[in-house]
Amino acid sequence: MTQTLTSRVADRLRAIVGDDQVITHPDRLVAYESDGLTAYRVVPRAVVLPETTDQVSEVLRVMHDEGIDVVPRGAGTGLSGGALPTPDGVIVGTARMNRILSINEQNRLARVQTGVVNARLTEATAPYGLYYAPDPASQSTCTLGGNVAENSGGPHCLKYGVTSRYVTGLTVVMADGEVVRLGGAGLEAVHGLDLVGLFVGSEGCFGIATEIEVRLLPKVESIRTLLGIFDTMEAAGHAVTDIIGSGLMPAAVEIVDNATIVAVEASVFSAGYPVDAGAALVVEFDGTEAGLDDDADRAEQCCLSAGATKVIRATSDEERIALWKGRKKAFGAMGRIAPDLLVQDATVPRTRLPEVLARITEIGREYDLKIANVFHAGDGNLHPNILFDRQNQEELERVEKASREIMTLCVSVGGTITGEHGVGVDKRAYMPLVYNDVEMDMLRSVRRVFDPDGRLNPGKVVQ
Amino acid sequence: MTLARSLRSALPDVSAREWDQSNNDVLWPGGTPEVLIRPVSTEEVSQILTWAGKEGVGVLPLGSGRHLGPIGGGRFVALETSLLAGVDEYEPADLTITSGTGTTFSTVDSTLRENGQWAPFDSPGVNERSIGGLVSEASHGPLWAGYGSLRNHVLGATLVTGDGRVLRLGGKVVKNVAGYDLLRPVVGGRGRLGILTSVCLRAFPLPAHERVLVLKGAKLKSLIEPALLAGTAPVLPVSIVVVGQLSALGGNSALILRLHGAESTVNADQSAIEKHLGISLDRLAGEEADGCLTEVRDRGGLEPRCVEVSVLPSRLSEVVAAADEVGVAKAVIDSYAGRLRMGSADMSADAVSALRGVVESLGGALRVARWDCVTRPQDTSCRDAELQLSRRLESIFDPSGVLWPAR
Repeated sequence: MTQTLTSRVADRLRAIVGDDQVITHPDRLVAYESDGLTAYRVVPRAVVLPETTDQVSEVLRVMHDEGIDVVPRGAGTGLSGGALPTPDGVIVGTARMNRILSINEQNRLARVQTGVVNARLTEATAPYGLYYAPDPASQSTCTLGGNVAENSGGPHCLKYGVTSRYVTGLTVVMADGEVVRLGGAGLEAVHGLDLVGLFVGSEGCFGIATEIEVRLLPKVESIRTLLGIFDTMEAAGHAVTDIIGSGLMPAAVEIVDNATIVAVEASVFSAGYPVDAGAALVVEFDGTEAGLDDDADRAEQCCLSAGATKVIRATSDEERIALWKGRKKAFGAMGRIAPDLLVQDATVPRTRLPEVLARITEIGREYDLKIANVFHAGDGNLHPNILFDRQNQEELERVEKASREIMTLCVSVGGTITGEHGVGVDKRAYMPLVYNDVEMDMLRSVRRVFDPDGRLNPGKVVQ
Repeated sequence: MTLARSLRSALPDVSAREWDQSNNDVLWPGGTPEVLIRPVSTEEVSQILTWAGKEGVGVLPLGSGRHLGPIGGGRFVALETSLLAGVDEYEPADLTITSGTGTTFSTVDSTLRENGQWAPFDSPGVNERSIGGLVSEASHGPLWAGYGSLRNHVLGATLVTGDGRVLRLGGKVVKNVAGYDLLRPVVGGRGRLGILTSVCLRAFPLPAHERVLVLKGAKLKSLIEPALLAGTAPVLPVSIVVVGQLSALGGNSALILRLHGAESTVNADQSAIEKHLGISLDRLAGEEADGCLTEVRDRGGLEPRCVEVSVLPSRLSEVVAAADEVGVAKAVIDSYAGRLRMGSADMSADAVSALRGVVESLGGALRVARWDCVTRPQDTSCRDAELQLSRRLESIFDPSGVLWPAR
C-alpha cells in the first residue's frame, strides 16, 4: 500500500524544485507506476522532477533526512523494472534535465545533462560530422542517464561496443546528497580504480548521474544492409557464425524468427518479409564507401552457403529502412497478438545459438506459450518474447516457469541472464543462477560502499 | 619463525622458497620480499592469502615482474603467477580466449594468430608480459583509437580477494549486465582488489590488410598539429602517434598512422586522410614498418624511469612545450587519446614534478610508470571523493590490507 507523502516533506521538495515539479496527485502518479516492464506496477508516493545537479542534491538530502527511499527514473523505457517505484519511495525523474551542455568538436566529446534523449545527442552532433554510437532500440525516447544506469547496448554495439566504452566522466549525486565527480577525459593517467566503469550499469543503486561526458565518433561515410531469408533458424545461425568467423566485422547482425515475421507482416509495420520463412537475418556494414561492397559480397556468400533462399541488398536509404523495419518494429507488432509481452533478454556464446534457440522452441511448446525470438545474433544476445495475458493467472505462472527455464538454459551453456536490459526486479530471482553466495554478498557490499543505508532504488539487482 | 617456515608449516604442498636477491632484476625500490611463492591453482592462491591475513603479512603479486612501482614497509612475500599459465579455453568462432594469468601475452597471441585472430594490445614489451599484469594495469597503447581500451576487452576473470574469497567476475560473453560490473575496478586496479588467476579476453579477426603511413619531420613539435588534424578526419585510423627521433627512420621524428581493413577500404581511407591533411603520406612496409611499430610500441616504456601523461588532445601542444627537460624530444604521443609517454635512465624528479604542475593546470594527469629509486616524484592524485570511495572498495575486497604492500 502506497503511503502518502506528508505535506511537510512535499513542501520541502516544492521549495527546491517549484510547485509544478512535485507530483503528488494520485491520478498523475499512475503514469509512473511502471517502466517498460508493465507486468509490475506500484504507484509511488510522489514524483520530483529536478532540473539541475544542485536541485538533485538538495532533493536527495531531504530524502536522506526523512529516511525516504528514492527511485531514479529517466524516460521509463527500461524493460527490467529498474524504475519500478516502491510503495514507500519517491521517484526522482531526470527527464527535465535535458540540456546538452557542450559539444567539443576537436576532442570529440560531449557533456550532457542526464535527461538528454539518446537520439537527440546524435542529431545535435551531426553538424560536426560526429555521432554517439550506442543505439538502444528505444533511442528516440530513452535518456542517456538511463543508458548509463543500464549500460545500454543496441544493434550496432557488435562493432562499436556498449555505453561503458563511451562514458568518460560523470557527475553523480550520492544518496546523502553529496555531489561527486568521477573520472573525466584527460585524466586517464590517474592511478585510480575505474569508478566510472563500476558506476555504469549500477541501475540507479549507487547514485544519480546528473551530468555525463561521452566520446563521440566520426559519422560513417556509407552503409550496406543485407536481408537474408532462411528456411530454418539453424541455417541463419550458421550464416552468422560463418560471417563472424570469416573475419568480417559487421556493424550489426540481427535475426527475427518465423513467429516474429508473421506478427510483423500481419501488422501495420509490414516489411515484406516472406511469412513462410524460418528466419530473416539483417546484416549491416558501415565505413568507407570503397570497401563496403566487398564486405557485403562476402557476407552474401556466407548467407547463400549456409542455405539462404534469398538475399536482398538495399540500394537506397529507403530500402535500408524497409529491410530494418521487420526487426525494429517487431516489439510493436506483437501487441496485436496478445495483450502482454514479456521481452526477455539473455546472452549466450554465439556458437551455442542454434541449440539454445531449438530448446527455447521446445520450452514454448512444453508450457503452451507463444515465444517469438528477436535477437542481436552477432553477440549472442537473445530476446525471446513471451506473449501472454496477465489477467490469466494460470498463464502468468507458466510464463514465469518458462522464463526461469530459458534463463537456466542460457547460463548452462556459458551465457548470462541479461545482456542489455539489466536485472531490475525482473531478473533478481535469477541472480543465483549466475552468482554463488560469496559473490552475491560481494555485490551487496559494493552497493553499500555507495549507499550505506540502501535508500537508492531498493529491491533492485540484489536484495 | 621465518615466513618461509611458517608458510611451509601451514601449507606444505605450496611451492615456496626464500627470496633470492638475484631474482630482483626489476624495479622494486624500497623493499624486498622474504619468500617467493608460486601457486599452481586458484585454490592455492586462496590458501596463501588466507594464511597471509592470519600472519599479518603483505602479499605482492608478480606477473612478469617488469612493471612494479615502489614497495612499502613491513614484511611481505611475493606471489608469482607464472605457474598459473596456459590457455584454458579457446573458441575461435566465439572470439573469446580464457587463460591463466601467468600466461605470457605472446602465448595467447600466437594461439589467436593460428586462427586468424588477435588481441589488439600494444603496450611496451607486451609480448613478454603476463596476461595478469596487462589486465591489472589496464595497459594499452595507441591502438586504443581503433579498438578501445583493454578494459573493454576483458570479458571475465577469476579473482581471489585479499582474504581468500574466490569471485568469478563477468563471463564469456561480450554483452553482460547481470549485476554490478565488479570487473571494471579490478581491471587496472593494480592488484589492489585481489589476485587474478584467470582471464577471458575478447579476440578480434586479424585485419585483412594493414597500412602504415608516415609523415617525417625534423622536430616532434612540428608534427603535433597534423596529428591533431588527422584525429578529426572523417576516417579514423586505428592509431595516430607522433614519436621523436625514431632510429628505424634514421633519427627523424614522425607522425605515424595505421589503417586496418580490406585493401580497397584502406586505399580509400588513405585518400580521405591525405585530402583532409592536404598532404601526401609515405607508406612503410615489411621489416621497415615492423621495426618502426615495435620501436613506437616500446619507446620509453622499458626505461628505468618512465612517466605517462594524459590530457585533452587540444592541450597536447602546451604539454609538449613544457616537457623539454623530461625528454619530450624522444616521446611517443598518442594524439587521438591525448597521451604522452617519456622514458629515460636519467630523468630528473624535479623536472617531472614541474611538468606535473603544468599538466594538472591544463586539466590533465601525470603518473610515474617506472622509477628506479625511492625518491620518486608524485603522481597526480585522485579527487578526495574518488579516493574515499576507492579506499572503501579496497577495504571490502581486502579487509586485512594484505594486498600490494606498495600502496
